[in-house]
Amino acid sequence: MNTVRELESNTEPSTIFDLREVCKEYQMGEVVVPALRGATLTIRRGELLVILGPSGSGKSTLLNIIGGLDAPTRGEVLFRGDDLAKYNESQRTQYRRKHIGFVFQFYNLMPNLTAEENVELATEISVDPMKPSEALEMVQLGPRRTHFPSQLSGGEQQRVAIARAVAKRPEILLCDEPTGALDISTGQVVLEALAEINRRVQTTVILITHNAAIAGLADRVITMRDGHVHEITENPRRKSVDELVW
Amino acid sequence: MYQSWPQSLGVVAVVMCGIAAYICVYSAYLNLSLTRDTYYAQNRFADFEIMVERAPETAVFKLENLPGIRQVRKRIVEDVNVDIDGVDEPRIGRLISMPSIKTPVINDVVMLQGRYFEPGEQRVVILSEHFARANDLDIGERFQISVDNKKYSLKVIGVGASPEFVYMIPNVQALVPSPERFGILWVPEEFAETALDLKSACNNIVGLVDDPDELDAILDEADKLLDPYGVFAKTKRENQLSNRFISDEIKGLGVSAKIIPTLFLGIAALILLILLNRMVRTERTQIGLMKAFGYSDWAVGFHYIEYGLILAVIGCLGGFALGQWMAGGMIKIYVQFYQFPILESRVYFDVLTRSMGITLVFATLGALTAAIQAARIQPAESMRAEAPSRVARIWLEYLPFLWRRLSFTWKMILRNISRNRFRSAVNCFGVAISLSLLLMGFFMSDSIEFGMDFQFQEVQREDVKVSFQKEQGRDVLYEAMRFPHVRRAEGLLEYPFEVRSGWRKKDIVVIGIEKDAELQRVMDFDHKVFSMGDSGIILAQSLAEDLAVGPGDTITLEPLMGRIDRVYEVPVRAVAQQFVGTAAYMDQGALSRLLEEPYAITSALLRLESGSRDEFNKTLKNIGGVAAVSFNTDAYQSMQDTMGASMNITNTILLAFAGVIAFSIIYNVTAVSLSERQRELASLRVLGLSIPEVGRIMYIENLLMGGLGVLLGLPMGIGICALLVEAYSNDMFRLPFHIARQTYVTSILLTMSFVFLANLAARRKIRHLDLVEVLKERE
Repeated sequence: MNTVRELESNTEPSTIFDLREVCKEYQMGEVVVPALRGATLTIRRGELLVILGPSGSGKSTLLNIIGGLDAPTRGEVLFRGDDLAKYNESQRTQYRRKHIGFVFQFYNLMPNLTAEENVELATEISVDPMKPSEALEMVQLGPRRTHFPSQLSGGEQQRVAIARAVAKRPEILLCDEPTGALDISTGQVVLEALAEINRRVQTTVILITHNAAIAGLADRVITMRDGHVHEITENPRRKSVDELVW
Repeated sequence: MYQSWPQSLGVVAVVMCGIAAYICVYSAYLNLSLTRDTYYAQNRFADFEIMVERAPETAVFKLENLPGIRQVRKRIVEDVNVDIDGVDEPRIGRLISMPSIKTPVINDVVMLQGRYFEPGEQRVVILSEHFARANDLDIGERFQISVDNKKYSLKVIGVGASPEFVYMIPNVQALVPSPERFGILWVPEEFAETALDLKSACNNIVGLVDDPDELDAILDEADKLLDPYGVFAKTKRENQLSNRFISDEIKGLGVSAKIIPTLFLGIAALILLILLNRMVRTERTQIGLMKAFGYSDWAVGFHYIEYGLILAVIGCLGGFALGQWMAGGMIKIYVQFYQFPILESRVYFDVLTRSMGITLVFATLGALTAAIQAARIQPAESMRAEAPSRVARIWLEYLPFLWRRLSFTWKMILRNISRNRFRSAVNCFGVAISLSLLLMGFFMSDSIEFGMDFQFQEVQREDVKVSFQKEQGRDVLYEAMRFPHVRRAEGLLEYPFEVRSGWRKKDIVVIGIEKDAELQRVMDFDHKVFSMGDSGIILAQSLAEDLAVGPGDTITLEPLMGRIDRVYEVPVRAVAQQFVGTAAYMDQGALSRLLEEPYAITSALLRLESGSRDEFNKTLKNIGGVAAVSFNTDAYQSMQDTMGASMNITNTILLAFAGVIAFSIIYNVTAVSLSERQRELASLRVLGLSIPEVGRIMYIENLLMGGLGVLLGLPMGIGICALLVEAYSNDMFRLPFHIARQTYVTSILLTMSFVFLANLAARRKIRHLDLVEVLKERE
């Protein structure tokens, strides 16, 4: 089922994503609303990338396109040299299943399933998953694995969502405002978990936020404005979560 | 409102069906009862009728002077053979004498065409409308009748109708009118007196009383007075054949008018309840916002009630239009059955007000819980996610051995079902209601078909029944066997009795059957044929219930016909399965010994060679002393034609409604549960489950709930059918409690295909689920 071909010659070995002139337009009734107007960007394997930008700058759209939830109107989205823009719905589903982990602002856990069962959801459909308990240990929720979402705090629920996303051993973890619904200290725990995963398992993490303080965590920071990549900054040194100033 | 339009449409459709059925049935009820009451009053329909052997005029005068009796009329009534040129088939006419000058009398004739008698006219006749039309007898034409072996030629001078024969059947056994074979011949009194040799005498008295509640006592007095003249039968208005049939029909309509709207609108309320509760849940945040802006709890709650009321009013108005249209069709069916000179479908605005009232009550009930919930929402709380319902492990999880073997999909499904019990229960219950509605729809036809088959194939198995004017010796059977084409002949001895058990009493016909009768059989509840034994009497089910007796009890029999003035005690041997009439059965020998008339029979049942009917008719035409000839196939046919046809229309409508409602319910519960779970489904899709994989979880869950619903719906439906049997059964009919295997199969298949259809719609929704939108919304 794997349609992804091996690296092509025109991409650097460490590049996992190569986005070229990606455009996305939404048809809203009779009006065409552009969300991306030719975003170009490469993403390196194993990096922690923070995408900053105000609402409407196109950062979520970009993330959804990278995550195979949405297809671009124009442009190329090369994942290890293979163009996602040409995938159909079921290829995108397979792609998400194999390579992508998602974390949303709202945790989207199944209310009827325990923490462990929620993680199981992901491991059941993967080829070489972690054990659900192992994934929960990673986010320090081992002891709470039999709890239902309603019995967990917001931060804990988000960590279950992260455990669920990483349990598949995805190549890329996409996080859309993962701390947006959380208070500072809980948010820190969640960010810590994401940074830890990036360090330990070498998962590429892309995190979008409008909170500039989080940018310190990243290897690189991309600022989006009006559907373009406005600026790319490389952090000489990644800060730890404790060092971030809110 | 826009988003949930299919569900809203479902509510409107169910309300519409309910109200349409209500309007249709209730208008028919009003139309029929109003018409009946005015018709009876205008034409002085008798309060009682007494049949005697021969009563002189003086006795009738004495009768009129009895306290409580307002007025009486002596009549001559006799069933005669009618011989129309070119028709070999036997026709029976009921000869009824009328005064030779038109005066307002009891059981008057309404002239529809032609004229009334003129003084001195003798051999003229006024025919009942349907009989004249069915036999092409126009005014001025002639036909012959035979009375006491003498033939008379009568000239048709008019066509009429009478409150006495709105439902035109010769006896209970006939069940449905057969307008060409039986009709009324109103003739001048003088002619009847001569022809039947009843000069200044009569054999039938009809009368009016001051107070119908006193009727029993008055009839007892009348009985004493007329005893010397041989009283055969006393009939109160409520038991008068035609009136009984109409009144039972009207009563049945009244029952339906209560059951149908309650059932349908109850279901509409249920759908509304599910729909609105879900709306409140999804609109929590908006509700909170509105309240934060300063809307009162009441205003917010009322919004949902309003929503329910709007749907209800739309459904109600649609239902009124549809129902009025159907009522017109219903009247057309009734006009075939009942000979009312005027019967039309009117628009009853109070019925509209009433149905509007009922609908609004049901809609409010359905919307109430949602409104209360909406009113209770606290603005601050609404901004937080709603606390998920309490969840527990399912029992299977305590059996790790089994649980581990389940596939992931099944684990998901079982957890979903068991941890969201309310939703599961609603799904399951929706299917159960749908199935029981369909079962109920099919049951009515099953029941009637079964009853007819039972009657004509198991009980009444002769080809032709020849009834004699007077009792005959059994030797007529040997004569009958000498007729060409007769293959078997059996005798019947039918004799009217008053049966009593304690204070309960009833006038019935006891039928004496030959020991090894094959042409008329009596069967028990397992459909085993009773062999007639020497002792005891077998009662039809409804008779046994009326008298409150069972096997082993003793009842008393008092002959209603003349000469014998004795009372017999007879043990009840058994109770028989019977759907038509209230007869009792005895061994023929035993009955004739009881009556001290050995070997007497009153009719002959014959089996003919096939295709020999015409020849048989021709031979029979030359034989005297025959009161009636009825062919089983004719009876079966007219039953099929009239009852079958009209029943088919009503059943088809009922079934169509049941189908609409069943589908609405199933579609609604599926759609509601789908939109409740959008987020879950989207999460699964994002995790990488394909559309078919996500779909499978939904479908299997729905099918499982559907299956459970079917299991629950079967006993529910059977229960409803049993209630219908009770609601619609009366003295003359019982609906057989019979559900054909085919009905189970069809109902279950239909229900499950509705589940499939609803799943298809759900599939479309899953396919078009906007993952990004759904997941970005807050919980």
